[in-house]
Amino acid sequence: MPLIEIKGASKGYGLPGSRTEVLKNINLSVEEGEFVVIVGYSGSGKSTLINLLSGLVKPDTGTALIEGKVITEPGPDRGLVFQNYSLLPWLTVEENIALAVDEVFKEWTPEQRKEHIAKHIAMVKLSHAAQKLPKELSGGMRQRVSVARTLAMNPKVLLMDEPLSALDALTRAQLQDEISEIWMSNKTTVIWITNDPDEAILVADKVIPLLPTSPATLGETMIVDIERPRDRKAINHDPKFKKLRAELISTLLDAKGRNKVKSSVQISLPDILPEDLTYTNSLQFLNRTGPKRRSDNKREEVEVAA
Amino acid sequence: MHLIQRYKLDSIILPLGAILVCCLLWYVIAGKSVITEKIDDFGDKVKVTRRAGLSADLPTPVETWTASKLYITEPFAKRGELDQGILRFTWMSLVLVVQGYFIALVIGTPIGFCLGLSKKFATAFDPIIQVLRPVSPLAWLPLGMILFSGVKIVNGDGRTTFGASDAAALFTIAICAMWPTVMNTAVGVRAVPQDYLNVAKVLKLSRSKTLWKVLVPATLPYMFTGFRLSLGIAWLVIVAVEMLTGRPGVGGFLWQQYNANSYAHIILCILTIGVVGYILDRLMSVVESRFKTA
Repeated sequence: MPLIEIKGASKGYGLPGSRTEVLKNINLSVEEGEFVVIVGYSGSGKSTLINLLSGLVKPDTGTALIEGKVITEPGPDRGLVFQNYSLLPWLTVEENIALAVDEVFKEWTPEQRKEHIAKHIAMVKLSHAAQKLPKELSGGMRQRVSVARTLAMNPKVLLMDEPLSALDALTRAQLQDEISEIWMSNKTTVIWITNDPDEAILVADKVIPLLPTSPATLGETMIVDIERPRDRKAINHDPKFKKLRAELISTLLDAKGRNKVKSSVQISLPDILPEDLTYTNSLQFLNRTGPKRRSDNKREEVEVAA
Repeated sequence: MHLIQRYKLDSIILPLGAILVCCLLWYVIAGKSVITEKIDDFGDKVKVTRRAGLSADLPTPVETWTASKLYITEPFAKRGELDQGILRFTWMSLVLVVQGYFIALVIGTPIGFCLGLSKKFATAFDPIIQVLRPVSPLAWLPLGMILFSGVKIVNGDGRTTFGASDAAALFTIAICAMWPTVMNTAVGVRAVPQDYLNVAKVLKLSRSKTLWKVLVPATLPYMFTGFRLSLGIAWLVIVAVEMLTGRPGVGGFLWQQYNANSYAHIILCILTIGVVGYILDRLMSVVESRFKTA
């Protein structure tokens, strides 16, 4: 049985009439210990998709299941890492993590919890900054705190909603490696959402493109069978990597191309009949009607950039 | 060096200049004593003092100073119930304001939270709040008198220590000062980023933990803005309250001196109220900036 799955889910926002369908017919199933990355364009419904799993959003049709049970609300068994870190700015790194740990492991003794917190801070290499406030940390450090907070809840599945999108390219590369390392050591199930195809192939076991049709649907799963640990420099010359990347990018681009909206436009061409000036010397010029404008309407199909 | 000169010019010399201009204007408007000699019916020479000027009864700055000197140089003296040093009066007023202000905060903050948290609560109570908000303290005080007419706490000597007028005074200050706290808290609660609430949801924090660990800290900056505005209003209301109840204090002193025709003291009171209000506002904004979160 898959650990977490979505069956035939669709989701739209807004009232009838001005409603936009975001996701349609989404089927996803993730086995325990898998590292799945969903790649898609910005604004194509990626966050909605992960929120179906986290329980922050309910599907209109279909269901989301964890271990065969329907997901109705958020819970600590599905750890969510937010794109914008969402650390509470008035709590230190340690307190932010403690907020999660104290809630999830109520039955533990304070010493056990303290040790658990320290272990996770050490795991993301932030022991020296445990007493700092989020505003004193860089973006990359904040996201590491956020990852530590989520992992400290010992979730069955780690949901990452564009965790590295707000970071600069170098920090991003570094964190990709660190998160891969952490995953290799504890093998938690991960569902990671990104808009970067390179990142997807670099970290994932399975890559699923979210096709930007309207509403969006999931594309075919691609298996990434490149051995770990993956070396970011060497992988660029790996033929498997090149092939996968080309395939993934062309899938996403093709879907975008197919999705171009066509609209027919009525165009009036200029067609003016000049004024008849033969009557200028008689009183009839009072009845002049001016130049005549005959409308010549033409319909034309125009492609609209989506 | 150049910078210091500029700084001095901008922040010290310019305000001083403005004060000087205002004092000059005051002097021009104020009445002056004109002494004339005339021969009365008995054939004696008598001196007659007459006030003349644009506003004949308004004392000049110098007259104001001479008349107020005693109150400022002996700020804590007590010569009688309504003849005390100016700081002693200020202290009495402040004590009353602080009591009323705390009642306002204790009542206003939870109301603000309810308004911010529940759309239904806000829709239900918004009209009432909008109608009560602009009511003047002068209108609330008589109602307070009626509401608390039965209140009477007597001490051992049989003297009333806390009567209807005290209760009415507190009631008036509290109900007038409450609104900025209510509104700002409500706005603050609505402005809590959805991200923080999502964190609370994902971590499955209990209701009380969400309130104390997420909502209250996230709302604090807004709450303190409300607290600061409330304190300003509480101080504004004190004069009206003391005038109507005849309590000793800056406002009471002002009204009593008006009735006693000693106009110089009115100006002293106005300046005192202004300066104290300014100091309170500064103090609160220092506290407020402490609670600004990133």
